Amino acid sequence: MTEPLLKVRDLVVTFGHGLHCVSAVAGISFDIYEGETLGLVGESGCGKSTTGRALMRIVEPSQGTVEFEGTDVTKLKGGVLRNARTRMQMIFQDPISSLNPRRRVKDIVAEPLDCWKSVKGAQRDLIVSDLLSKVGIDPEVYGNRYARQFSGGQCQRISIARSLAMRPKLLICDEMVSALDVSIQAQILNLLADLKAEYGLTLLFIAHDLAVVKNVSDRVAVMYLGKICEVGPSDTLYDAPAHPYTKFLLGAALEADPDSPIHGEVLQGEPPSPMNPPSGCRFRTRCPFATEKCANEEPLLREIAPGHQVACHYPLTVTSR
Amino acid sequence: MSEPWGLNPEVLVPHGLVERPEKKRPLGPLFWICVGWIALNLIGAIFANVLPLENPLFQNYNFINAAPSLHHLFGTDDLGRDIFARVVYGSRISITAGVGAMIIGFGIGAPLGMLTAYKRGRFDLIVTSIMYVVLAFPAIVATIAVLSFWTPRNLFKIIVVIGLASVPIIYRVIRAATLSVATKDFVVAAKVQGASDRRIIFKELLPNVAPILISFVLIGIATVITLEGALAFLGLSVNPPTPSWGNMINEARTVLAQNPWLALFPSLAMCLFLLSLNFIGDRLRSHFDVQEVKL
Amino acid sequence: MSGEKLLVVKDLTTTFATLAGPLPAVGGISFDLATNETLGIVGESGSGKTVLARTIMGLQPRTNVTVTGSVLLDGHQVVGASEDEMRRLWGTEVAMIFQDPMTSLNPVMRVGRQIDETLRVRMGMSRRDARARAIELLELVGIPSPERRYRAFPGQLSGGMRQRIVIATALACSPKLLLADEPTTGLDVTIQAQILNLLDELKESLHMSVVLVTHDLGVVATRTSKIVVMYAGRVVEMGSTRDVFAHHRMPYTRALLESSPKITSPSHTRLATIPGRPPNLLQLTQGCSFAPRCAYASDRCREERPELEATAEPGHLFACWNPLAHDREAVTL
Repeated sequence: MTEPLLKVRDLVVTFGHGLHCVSAVAGISFDIYEGETLGLVGESGCGKSTTGRALMRIVEPSQGTVEFEGTDVTKLKGGVLRNARTRMQMIFQDPISSLNPRRRVKDIVAEPLDCWKSVKGAQRDLIVSDLLSKVGIDPEVYGNRYARQFSGGQCQRISIARSLAMRPKLLICDEMVSALDVSIQAQILNLLADLKAEYGLTLLFIAHDLAVVKNVSDRVAVMYLGKICEVGPSDTLYDAPAHPYTKFLLGAALEADPDSPIHGEVLQGEPPSPMNPPSGCRFRTRCPFATEKCANEEPLLREIAPGHQVACHYPLTVTSR
Repeated sequence: MSEPWGLNPEVLVPHGLVERPEKKRPLGPLFWICVGWIALNLIGAIFANVLPLENPLFQNYNFINAAPSLHHLFGTDDLGRDIFARVVYGSRISITAGVGAMIIGFGIGAPLGMLTAYKRGRFDLIVTSIMYVVLAFPAIVATIAVLSFWTPRNLFKIIVVIGLASVPIIYRVIRAATLSVATKDFVVAAKVQGASDRRIIFKELLPNVAPILISFVLIGIATVITLEGALAFLGLSVNPPTPSWGNMINEARTVLAQNPWLALFPSLAMCLFLLSLNFIGDRLRSHFDVQEVKL
Repeated sequence: MSGEKLLVVKDLTTTFATLAGPLPAVGGISFDLATNETLGIVGESGSGKTVLARTIMGLQPRTNVTVTGSVLLDGHQVVGASEDEMRRLWGTEVAMIFQDPMTSLNPVMRVGRQIDETLRVRMGMSRRDARARAIELLELVGIPSPERRYRAFPGQLSGGMRQRIVIATALACSPKLLLADEPTTGLDVTIQAQILNLLDELKESLHMSVVLVTHDLGVVATRTSKIVVMYAGRVVEMGSTRDVFAHHRMPYTRALLESSPKITSPSHTRLATIPGRPPNLLQLTQGCSFAPRCAYASDRCREERPELEATAEPGHLFACWNPLAHDREAVTL
């Protein structure tokens, strides 16, 4: 097994201090291998966006290590950190606020090149034009326009072009299609797939839409209240989820098919407050299969099939409920 | 079943359909009239010495409280001095006070505001707390107190005092404006690309804060001019016989019955100047107002 | 009024007067809705679905907006009605819930009081009666410990709870029609399921009809009996949900269905896309608005706008000069 490109171990991100502490991410570990797309899915408050931001050190991890290409990113500072960041880039949820409305598109895409002064002059312009064409924006016609003149889908394309300028190895997509219409979303997802192949990217795709995540990812990790419940290959995980939460999540997702049955059992209740998480397994307050063991002992991620890990004392496929 | 659109390369939308008319709100003729008026005042203030004006200090006892005439366009005051000349020379005081105080105020308040809004953390906490404490102290009272004791009074001292007193408010406004920009994703994106703090402040933050900055400067100048007028009423502006709009209006109080012209013209001059400044500031603000694209 | 349709919309057009010219946000909409039915209005952003919902509700401003056509709400004409006339209908005949519950609720007023208000103003209840009924309503919408939650502020509640409060407020005076504009967009998937189930139950128990405006095809497929598909302000296809999903004729409907990723498809399935973007409503061409993006477009499509025509299935209408073949296989879902 080759070394993973990104190794996250026991990552904890805490906000606030003293009595008002919230662990948005409460100790998660996962790997991403070069060339794969790992989907990170979960509902609001589960900590998936915070995880993405912590990897880039946009928010500071409180504990744990993030090893990227062999170096622990959490320990870097100053110029070295800035340097390391060029190998990891991020695309944000809101396409409009991701771009400076008062700058021209060409300058926005060239910004990383200008920061590092790695290329100048004609070569720089060539790279910029090339990137813009690759994402489907004609540099001749639109290159000199201001970012505010574009629609959501186009802004997202420009963001993608910008993030590719420094040829990163890892691209973190934080809900990047959540704000787009269905037809535009499809265009962007296809574009992402093409660019991934062409530039040899590795993706961490964070989203809450299960169908989108499945479409894009090789493997999927499901998060709940700051912890990872289950990790596995997309097709296997979706066909035979092992964690009860994953099963409920998939059951609640609505297919665009009038004949698909509405799954009878709907997950009741609300997610508990992250300020006061339940003891043991965090999902136990809403899980119909919870026992005393679930309250006393926190289940750790363990492998139940090759490549498929689950954090549950009574995983579904094993005990076949 | 060949899907006509399944594997099509993304078709770039033809020019016409994408075009979002970038229609900036027209500045309008009134805007340019105001600009012209300000320019006129500026020329008068700068070139007062070489213009064919009466000596503003010359007291001609033959023409006390005269009504406007060809010789004295605005009439004369109770000491026989030409009001028109005094209004023009007086604009020097007001404009210099306004611009000078704003240079000090913005020169200190704006960079601090932007820096604290961007860096946050302890630096922000300390500076903002200090500013809030200073802000709690009534600026007008402080100004009056300082100017009363810091004699002999001259324009420079007035500018310094007003300028420093305006720093906390300017700091607050610029900080708030920067905060709303600094939290946007594109600033995070810039940081993540490896841009240095300096680059981010000048290339990402400043262009977005500039419109507010510009219109606030203009309104600030207008406020300081009014403040000078108020100080004159308390006898705390420049010492007579130097004319300023404020102290001319103050002098006019006592002779209002005999000489309405002495009150009218400086008031009119001040009023029109302020209106123009405010109008220009407002128009510029809406002109630069970036319409956000709707998804 | 027995046996009559609850909502009859005929040739409804809403035009906004903008600096750049008249904007025909919604044009020539006709449909009807009977009691106890759920109608889904589907479209992407810019399709005009929210404008349509607000026009039906009578919420469009009286200045700078021209509304023509007819909207008969249980016999009352909405188009041209004054705000006073509409006020009599709001709450008691028709109610609307919006997408973001946080902005639908007053953040500085306790939620109980917000429900009370409707009861006391519209139904003239006394304070005690209103409070009792409000707590009843909170229970009806599935809020645990309603007495305690009665005194909560919206900010103290989660998104799902807030949306339930909004529903409770809307249903306080038992309206006959509920307009829901993207009620579950932005809510978690599991909470969405709860809210949609709730709406279904309430519809049954209160004998209400629901109009569900959304862009989510999954919601529409499973929770509505009739749907209307909108594009660029016009209806391009309408009919019973089953008919439209299985036997759609208009290429846009097809494209919409095909471009959303399916959970049941294997990962890395290439998605079908619609090239280009929705049109600028200020610059609509004379032909079909979808023609620039349609692979089946002919010259006639570009010159003449198609009108809605009927199919063999009752109530199933579409607007297209080159419709998909009638017996074309439904998209494998």
